[in-house]
Amino acid sequence: MDTIIQTQDLTRRFGGLVAVNGVNFSVARGEVRGLIGPNGSGKTTLINLISGVYEPTSGKVFFNGEDITGLAPNRVAQKGVLRTFQIPRLFGSMTLLENMLIPRFADFSLDYLKQRGAAEERALELLEMAGIAHLSGHQAKTLSGGQKALLQMARGFMVEEISVFLLDEPFAGVNIVVKDTIMALINKMASEGVTFILVSHEMASIRQMCQKVTVLAEGSIIIEGTMDEIAADQQVIDAYLGGGA
Amino acid sequence: MQNKTFSRSLNFVLIGAASVGILAGPLFLNDYWQHIMIVSMYYIILAASWNLLAGYTGQFSLAHQTFAALGGYASGLMIYHLKVSIGVGFIAAVLVTAGTGFLLGLLVLKMRGIYLAVATWAFSESMRLSIAALYKFTRGEQGLAVPSLFDSLAPIRYYYLFFALMVGLLLLMYLVLRSPIGSFIRAIRDDELAAKAMGVDTVKWKLFIMTFASTIAGIAGFFYAHYIVILSPVILSFNEIGKVVIMVVFGGLGNFAGPLIGAPAIVIISELTRDFGSWNMVFYSLIVIVIMRLYREGLAEFFRNWIQKLFGKKPAQNNPLQE
Repeated sequence: MDTIIQTQDLTRRFGGLVAVNGVNFSVARGEVRGLIGPNGSGKTTLINLISGVYEPTSGKVFFNGEDITGLAPNRVAQKGVLRTFQIPRLFGSMTLLENMLIPRFADFSLDYLKQRGAAEERALELLEMAGIAHLSGHQAKTLSGGQKALLQMARGFMVEEISVFLLDEPFAGVNIVVKDTIMALINKMASEGVTFILVSHEMASIRQMCQKVTVLAEGSIIIEGTMDEIAADQQVIDAYLGGGA
Repeated sequence: MQNKTFSRSLNFVLIGAASVGILAGPLFLNDYWQHIMIVSMYYIILAASWNLLAGYTGQFSLAHQTFAALGGYASGLMIYHLKVSIGVGFIAAVLVTAGTGFLLGLLVLKMRGIYLAVATWAFSESMRLSIAALYKFTRGEQGLAVPSLFDSLAPIRYYYLFFALMVGLLLLMYLVLRSPIGSFIRAIRDDELAAKAMGVDTVKWKLFIMTFASTIAGIAGFFYAHYIVILSPVILSFNEIGKVVIMVVFGGLGNFAGPLIGAPAIVIISELTRDFGSWNMVFYSLIVIVIMRLYREGLAEFFRNWIQKLFGKKPAQNNPLQE
């Protein structure tokens, strides 16, 4: 299978703390990969390193074989690697529709006027899929927590060339209806070829959606495999229960 | 959607009425009040361009008056020392303010909030002190004489010149705000990291808006300098930026109509309270406190809601799930 995201000896230190420690990680095109681990294991830091929010202390990140280490987050996004944040980060004073159009026109193409109509249609279609199209003219700051998570997710799909979507705890603090909607969105976009890296503590969702799961503990990968394989692994049990080390 | 159409029609009606009123102004305004209107139009441009930075991008710069002064000084000094034409002076004003705006933008690129305010204030003060100290070159506190644009100093020609300038520059700012750039800068204000993660080149657009707003202030400063015909470091004082901030907050921060209402209101209040001397700054402060306490969104929003209510329209849209 062809690799879309790869890291090579990726390390990130914060002073004396090694948040990510020599991680070699690769994800195949079209895969929905689970990334799990106890709190503080380095999952979000790894997402931040891939998406360009942090620069690595050492090591490299490749996208489609191209070295993207140290690129600014906007450059990484324009290549088609999008992300969400655990606490949804929206443009609160802007309407849902305006939020949706930001990533679509982020490269500031001059045919904006020609494409605006089609982009708005696409935005409304995605908002409809997320079940929040009726709020398209409202300011994003007026949304509930679950609606914010849905908007953040739908907004990423506005990038036409989206190849990889890094989702940081998409199910945190949302009700079952929102969770099902998010899962449906992931399934739909995965069927269209988008690769997902899914950070979550929701084991049931990870089991349901991910072909393969990577487990991080103390900044290092301890095992990769199917959910059944990792559930039976003693290192994983120790990492979660605090034993072993 | 109906509300949006109503708002847009209302804006056109109000802008049309204001334009007709201003165009007909000299028919019933004497020279003194024509001068007050010219000063108001100058401050509208300055306040509207500062609103682009603080209101739309979240860049609370305290150096905006410096760019207006630089526009005037760049032209004045070129004419005084090199005897160039006013046209060349205008080009110098544009280049100097655009270049300085870009460099200041680079310097404060990673700053926000109080750090940005303090850094831009420090820049502004150092420019003011430098102009005062380099009196052999700038004529310092003695004042730099700047030629007038017309043979006569009668305000009527300047009145229409400033009106055309104000309309042109406001239109330019409006077009920028209506383009994707307007969305990018608002996204930067709301959440810079999220904007970056969505592919927005925040460095480029922050630099662009700082350069653009500074150049507009510089152009306004150029015309103002050639109207008042004398420049001194006083126009770089903190009081000047204080006035601009008050105008925008009074009218509505981040609201396009805000400076259009706030600037003339403050200029007129300032004239009416002129006999009280420095006390009028205390008066402004009281106005700001009252507005902040009673109507944080400023007079523009207050009037809009009031007119919408008058026509039986709902004032604002909220998420019904949150109501």
